[in-house]
Parts: sequence; C-alpha cells; structure tokens
Amino acid sequence: MAYDSPGMFVQGRFSRRSFLKTTAAGVAASAATGLSFLRIAEAADGVRSIGLGVSEINEIQDKATKDLGFPVAGQAMGYGEMFGKMLNQNDQYEIAEGYYNDMRVMAPAKVWQPLDTKKLKDWDKVTNLTKTGKLTPESSEGQGDAPFKLMWCDADGNIVKGPSQYIIMCPAWHNADSMGYNPKATGRAIESWGELLNKDFKGKVALLNVPQIGVMDAALAIEALGLKKFVDKGNMTKPEIDFLIDYLIPLKKAGHFRAFWENFGQSVNLMVNGEVALESMWSPAVAAIQAEGVPCVYAFPKEGMRGWHGGLAISAKVKGKQLDQAYEYINWWLEGWPGAFVARQGYYHSVPDNAKKYLKPEEWDYWYMGKPAAMDLSDPFGTVIIKKGDVRSGGSYWNRYSKINVWNSIMQENDYLVKRWTEFLTA
Amino acid sequence: MTTIESYARVVDAAPRGLIGGAPAGVGGAAAAQRKYSREPGFPVPILIAPATLWLIVFLFLPLVSIFIFSFWKTTGHSMVPGFTLDNYRAFFVTEGFFDSHSNDFLTPSVFIRTLWTTFRFTFTVMVICLILAYPMAYFLSMQVEDFKWQLALFLLVMVPFWTSYLIRAVAWLPMLGRHGLINEFLLDMGLIEEPVSFFLYSEFSYTMALVQLYVVLAVGPIFFSLAKIDRNLLEAARDMGATPFQIFREIIFPLSLPGIAIGMIFIFVMLMGEFATAVVVYGGKTSTTGTVILSYYAIANYPFAAVNAFMLMLAMMIGVVIILRVVDIRKEL
Repeated sequence: MAYDSPGMFVQGRFSRRSFLKTTAAGVAASAATGLSFLRIAEAADGVRSIGLGVSEINEIQDKATKDLGFPVAGQAMGYGEMFGKMLNQNDQYEIAEGYYNDMRVMAPAKVWQPLDTKKLKDWDKVTNLTKTGKLTPESSEGQGDAPFKLMWCDADGNIVKGPSQYIIMCPAWHNADSMGYNPKATGRAIESWGELLNKDFKGKVALLNVPQIGVMDAALAIEALGLKKFVDKGNMTKPEIDFLIDYLIPLKKAGHFRAFWENFGQSVNLMVNGEVALESMWSPAVAAIQAEGVPCVYAFPKEGMRGWHGGLAISAKVKGKQLDQAYEYINWWLEGWPGAFVARQGYYHSVPDNAKKYLKPEEWDYWYMGKPAAMDLSDPFGTVIIKKGDVRSGGSYWNRYSKINVWNSIMQENDYLVKRWTEFLTA
Repeated sequence: MTTIESYARVVDAAPRGLIGGAPAGVGGAAAAQRKYSREPGFPVPILIAPATLWLIVFLFLPLVSIFIFSFWKTTGHSMVPGFTLDNYRAFFVTEGFFDSHSNDFLTPSVFIRTLWTTFRFTFTVMVICLILAYPMAYFLSMQVEDFKWQLALFLLVMVPFWTSYLIRAVAWLPMLGRHGLINEFLLDMGLIEEPVSFFLYSEFSYTMALVQLYVVLAVGPIFFSLAKIDRNLLEAARDMGATPFQIFREIIFPLSLPGIAIGMIFIFVMLMGEFATAVVVYGGKTSTTGTVILSYYAIANYPFAAVNAFMLMLAMMIGVVIILRVVDIRKEL
C-alpha cells in the first residue's frame, strides 16, 4: 500500500512508457532475489533484508555484499505485504528495514530482538532526532509516534522511556511529507495544509488513501483552517475522528475530492494528467512529475510537515554468525554510503556527517543545507533531476525537522478509524 | 418441456461448429457412462484424487480456517485463539443502531452497506454484461456460418484477455480523463466548453471498466451453449410453422440458459471479490468488501478481516444458489 511504488521511481526507471519494461525487469529481479534468499537461508551465511523500495535497492545491497564480504540480499515489497511478512514470518528475513510508525504493532509482537547500542559503532553520532526528539534544542517533538518514543527498549525488548542501552530499531533514513501542487493550476503558492480543503480547489484535490495517514493530512488541514484543535493528531479520540470524518463526508459528496491514491505512480499520474491541482504527495513524485513536463512544487506548509522515519531491525530468530553479520550490515548503513545514496533521492540519514563523506559538496548543500543547486544534480541512478539554481522547499534539514507537526502513527483507535474511513469512502 | 424440445433430445446431434463434435444429448451421456464401468484403466478414485487433494488443502482447509479465525480475538498485532462474537457484532451493529435517541436508529453498519454497494455494482454490471454478451454470442454462433470465421471472431473477442488485467483497467485513464481522448474530442467538436469530469473517477467509469473487463466471461459460455444447439431442432421448428420469435423463445433461449448461468456465476463471483478496479478507475472513491478486507489485513486485525471474508463468501454462495435456482444447470446440460 503506502510507499510501495517509490521503488519504481527509486530504480530511476519511472515513466509511463517504460512501465512494461519495469514490470518485466521486476519479475526477473524478484526471481533473482528469491534465489539469493534461498542460498543465504540454506548456507546460514549472509543476511536477507526486507523493506520498501525506499531502502531496498539492488545497488545498495550489491555494494554491501562487496564491502562486507558476505552475501546481502534485499527484497522490496509493497507496504501491506512488507508489514505482513515482518510480523508473521520473521524466520524469512534477518533484517527488517521497517518504520517507527509500525512499532506499536511490531514491538509487542516481539518479532525483532533488542539491539545493543554498544555494538553500533557510530551510535554516538546518531542525531538527537530519534534519541530525544529534538534535532536542535529549539525543535518541537511533533505529535504522534515520534521515533524517540518508540525506539528505546529494555533487554527484553519492551518499549521504555529512553535513554537505554537497547533499541528495537536502528534509525537510518527519514523524510517529511506534505503536498505537491501545480502552480499553474492553483494560481498561487500553497503555504498551508488548509488549502487541501479549500473550496477553490473543488474537484481538483486528491488525498492519500491510507486511513492512518490520509486522516492526518485532513486533520492538519482542519487545524490550519481553525475549525478544531486536536489534542494529538497522531492519536485521536473517537469524538475527534467523528468530527473529522463528519466534516469530510459532505465535502466528498459535493465532489471536492477527485481521487484517493494508493501508490506513488497514481499520485504522479493524477497531476501529470491534469486531474488534480493539489494533492498529498511524497517528495520524489515532484521530480517524476517535472520529468513529464508538468510544473510541480512541493509545499512547505507553515504548520509544519508530517514526518516518517525508517530504520533497521534484526529478527528475533537470528543468532550466531548471522547475528554478527546483521550487526555489520547495520553498522555499514550507519557509516554513510547508503545514506548518501538515498540522499540523492531526498531522504535524510540519521548520521548526516557520515552521509556527507560520500556526497559532493554541491549535493550536500542542496539536499541538506537547503541552498540553491550549484550545478545540475542527479538521482542515485545518474538521471538529472535537479537543475542548477533549484532550491529545496523548506530550507535546510535542521529547519525542516525542527517543525515536524506530526509523525506517521498508528492510533489506539485504529480499528475505529479504519471503520469511519470506510464510511467516508462509501459515502 | 415442449414437444419440439423433447423431440430434439433424442435426435443424435450432427457435429457442427466449434464444439459440435462433443457428444450431446441424453444418448451421449449414457454411452459415456457405460464406457466407465466397462473399460479397463485407472479407477475413478485415482483419477479424482489429485483434484480432491488440491481442493482440500488449498480451498477447503483455508475456508475452514477463515471461518474459525473469525471467532478469534485480536491483540492489535496478532490473533489469539478464543471464541468471541464481537467481530460479528462489529460487522452487523453500528453504534446507535436501535438506540431511539440516536440519529442512526435504523442505519445498517458501514460493512453491511459496503457489502450492499458491492452487490449493487455487481448486479448492474451483470445485467449490462448480459445485454452486451448475448447478442455477441448469438451473432458468433448463429450468424457466422463458417467455422474458421467463427473461431477467428471468437479469438478476437478474447484478445483483451491476453493483456494484463491491470493494464486493461489503466488504459481507461487516457481515454476518460479531463484531458482524455473523449474530452478532447468533445472540446474539438465544440460540444462542450469545459472538460467533463464525470467520465473518470465516477460510477460511470467504474461500471464501464468493469463491464469491459468482465464481459468476455459471459460471451464464452453463452457462445458455447448456443453453438451446441442442434440445428435440426431449429429446422424442425421452422417446418412445423414456428415464427423466428417462437423459435428463439422456445428453443434457443431455454437451451442457452446454462451458458447464461455459468457466465453470470463467473462475473458475479469475480465482481463480488473485486478491489483493484475501484482504485484505478474510481479513484478509490468507494469501498468494496474486498478493500475492507485489505484495510483490516493491513492493520493486522485478521479476525475482523476474516469476518468480512466470510460474509462475502456467504453472499457469494447465496448469489450462486439463486442463479442456480433460476437455471437448473444439471437438467439443462
């Protein structure tokens, strides 16, 4: 579901024309992945890693295999598939490249083992974003499942208030989402989440059809319009959910929403085809849309963005040599090369200085410092996606992350939320 | 059964058309039965063993477990064995239902409404498919005399099925969109001034795409049952002075009923479980029981997903039974 298709773009092959080719390549690649997974399992040597296309990229696992001297195989999956496999088949992988917003499910299920931070070489260099929730002293922690609330655990894997010697997942790549818009279609700059529900854009708005996230974008909009203040948008109460859905249903009936998208490709197509002027969006979509010749800007709303954070966890089933190898792989991640790789895609690394070692100064200045690009910049696969002079919306990494409004979360009232969201869609 | 029909059943069919060579009528079946008991070879139990085993392991057991899981409890990250009716209560009863102080006094739960919406779409699409498929199948089997042409045209009808399901659904986007072919055409002709948005991401596009995706499932069986009709029957009817309409009403239509029933069952079962097309061409603006199952699977509430799956299965079974009640396939075949 969510995030599945960034993989398609991450591979640098996204275009409508190459869709078929990508599919064919995907089939071949997954067959190859299956084989290497089998080999690692049979020999009990090396690590199998599962996750989303954001971090499971052939180039990364190939480089790891070369650097580490044991086989590393990665499998990119759709969100639902990944979630199910991580939860129910932890004998099928050594490494889970997961997300903190699933931690409320994964941690109590004890499918991952506590990681000993003493075995993580660069642990001291990991920023405070995940340790205390404050990237800079002035930062706000943000509502919802901020990683620092769900990262620390005791030696048995129970979530505790940090700091502690143990963590459930080692923080690595992360980003913040907002809305993308076509400035020609909106006729003005979009600077607030409230615009998502602005009647000016009736019939030209799309939301993400993942209830847990879609509802947060809507809540951000409702707050921005001053209609209601939510105590915690990442953990709404039933009356709050009711207020929100009851507000959205008449809007939907009036035709406010053009569509609800479920994967990256859909969000790109909606804007490329001129179906929407404004939609909730993941940042790599901007480059994909611009590549089709359609103007697109990623908004930096004044209320702050919606953050999400990924990381690496080790299955509870892993022991012996493979456990050491799993730690080596995580240490290799922290050391920076993969962080630099995904930085060219717009994702941040939990040890920025380590990523910096592998980035050109111009790349560092653009992606992390928020400065105008001093030259054309390429994505990880060599396609130019940033033109000289472009500026990343929201400024520097530290500026963006001091203003995270809310983190992707699983609410306590998740069941109720899904039920009401279904009602919203059925209305 | 009319006289003409009973007469027809004893006449041995002359081979004709695509499947004319197959043994037809009561005589053929009886002959086949005699063959089983007489001829040496693999005994029947061995012949049906693989299919039975397959069905038990991959169909029967999963279905039973779905039913059992639907009574289990969820812990938020997994399900634990137990027996609770809460999942079913959540499916049927909405908050405020039968509560005289509530506005939702008689509002059925969203899951029932979703199942109803799913059924409503399914039924509409079935009717449209039948209206489109029958004439197509009729033309192919009755009007096209040459076997080669029959085969060629039939394959042509099947061609869309050679491309992936998803591509066939996605292909509607450049056709129906705000800047799609139809809108561009209408704009060029000066028939409209603004692009029409209701072509895409609407009930209209959803129904249309479903019909296009599934109509072939009806054409095939109807075509086969029409092709099987013994042409001597029609001739006999004509000789006895029947009008073309009478021939259709009393011979062709009744004899094609099994094909209609099979086609409708295919479409019904496929559509009730549908979840992907709504995302692509309806922009996710509706939910089907299929999408509800997915949503609850995605949050690891497997028991509730199982309840929905079970209710869907029940609805499908009822639907199939109703179709089979209307048409007694065994009798007709």
